[in-house]
Amino acid sequence: MKLASLSRSILRSAAVAAFALSVSACATKPGDTGAKDAAYEVNDPLEVPNRFVFAANEAIDTIALRPAAEVYTVVVPDPIRDVIHNFIDNLMAPLYIANNLLQGNFEGAQIATGRFLTNTILGAGGIADVATQAGIPNRPEDFGQTLAVWGVDNGPYLVLPLLGPSNLRDTVGYGVDTVADPVRVWGYATHHKGALTGRAAANAVDRRSHVLKEVDDLRRSSLDFYATVRSLHQQQRKAEVENKPVSGPEFPDFTSAPKQ
Amino acid sequence: MMLTRRLFVACAALLAVSSGVGPSLISPARAQSADPGASAFIQKLGNDAIGTFSNKSLPKEQALQQFRTLLHKGFDVPYIGRWVLGRYWNQATEAQQTEYQKLFEQLIVGTYAERFLEYSGETFKIAGSQPEGETDTMVTTQIVRPSGPPVNVNWRVRKKDADYKIIDVVVENVSMGVTQRQEFASVVQQNGGKIDGLIQALRQKVGKAG
Repeated sequence: MKLASLSRSILRSAAVAAFALSVSACATKPGDTGAKDAAYEVNDPLEVPNRFVFAANEAIDTIALRPAAEVYTVVVPDPIRDVIHNFIDNLMAPLYIANNLLQGNFEGAQIATGRFLTNTILGAGGIADVATQAGIPNRPEDFGQTLAVWGVDNGPYLVLPLLGPSNLRDTVGYGVDTVADPVRVWGYATHHKGALTGRAAANAVDRRSHVLKEVDDLRRSSLDFYATVRSLHQQQRKAEVENKPVSGPEFPDFTSAPKQ
Repeated sequence: MMLTRRLFVACAALLAVSSGVGPSLISPARAQSADPGASAFIQKLGNDAIGTFSNKSLPKEQALQQFRTLLHKGFDVPYIGRWVLGRYWNQATEAQQTEYQKLFEQLIVGTYAERFLEYSGETFKIAGSQPEGETDTMVTTQIVRPSGPPVNVNWRVRKKDADYKIIDVVVENVSMGVTQRQEFASVVQQNGGKIDGLIQALRQKVGKAG
C-alpha cells in the first residue's frame, strides 16, 4: 500500500520533471555568438517576477528568519549548534550517495558512504562530524547536479519562494531530492510530518545563522543586492556541478588592446 | 534557506581576508611552471597587512590611510575598475570614466577598510600557485579564521614591468571581479542602459558609507 503510493508519487514527480525539462530545453537557446560579454550575461528572462519573489524572501528574512537565527546563535551554545547541524546533514547522506551513483561517480559514492557510516557509527548517530575531522570533507551532491552531469542545461534563473536562488534544472532536482529523501519517506510512512516541519525550520535557521554577518555586509555594500546574489549563486553552482575550480574569465591587457 | 551557506562564507572570506603568517607550502609540481615571484608577493603583502592591522593603537584616520596604501600597493585598482565595467567602459565619455574610477576606488575602500580594521587574528598560508591565462599567476591561499572552517582564496596576480599586482580575487570559486561586473551591468540595465545611472548609484553608496 505505502509502497504503491510512494512509487506513484515518484512517478508523478518524474513526469513533472520530464515536462519541466522539455520546457527548459525549449526555453534555453545557445549563447550569443561572438559577443565578448556573453560570458557575463545572465539567463534571467523572468527577472521581473524573480525580483518580486526576491523582495518577498528578503522581507521574510528581515521579519522572521534573521531574528530567529540571531536568537539561535545567542541562546544555543556553539557545541549544541554543531550537533544540530551535523545531525541534519548526516541524514542527507543517502541522497549524496545516490546522486554520486547516478552521476557515475563511484569514488564520490564511496567517499559519501564512508562519511555516512563513520558519522553514524563513530559520530553517535551523526551528531559529531568525525569524518571531516578525519580529513574526509563533505561534498553534497544533489539531483540538480546529477541532471547537469547528464547534460541538462541550467535553464532560466529562478528565485523560489522561501528557498531562494535556483534555476529551472535545480528546481526540478530539488523536487526529486525532496521526494526521494529517506527522512521524508520515513516521516510520511510513520505519520511524523511534524518532525519534517521541525527539520525544515531547524535547517533554515541553522544555515542562516552561519552567515549573519556576511549577509549584512553584502546587503550594505551592494548596489543591487539581487544582481549580486544572482551572480554569486550562479558561479558557486557552476563550481559545484563541475566539482573543480571553474576556469577564470579573460582578463585582457588594456594597455595594448585596441579600443573597440 | 534563502542563500546557501558556502555562498556567503565565500564573500565573508573576502571581506574578512586579513591574512596572516604561515609556512609557505608551494607544491613543487605546479610551482615549476608558475612564477615564484607571485607567491612571494602575496606572502609579503599578507604579512604587511597583518603587521599593519594587528596594531590596534593606530588612530582610525591613520589606519584608513594605511589601508589605502596597501590596497594600491597590492591591487591594480584602475585595471579592476575598468574590467568590471566591461563593455560599458567604451560607451562612457572620458569624464564619466574618470568619475567612475574615482567612485570605484572609494567603493572598494568603503567596503573593505572596515573589515581590515576589525582584524581579529586570521592567518593565511600559501597552498600553491599555477599559471593562469598567458600572463598571470593564480596564487592559492587558505585563510584560517579563529572560528569556522578555513576559506580558500585565490589571487590572480599579473606582473607588469617589475611589479606584481592583484587583478582578481576568487573566494571559494566566486570571482569578485565577475560578481561586481554582473552587478554593475545589472545597475546600468536597470537604468535604461545609461552609465550615469550606475555613477549615480555609486555616488549614493559612497556618500552613505562616508
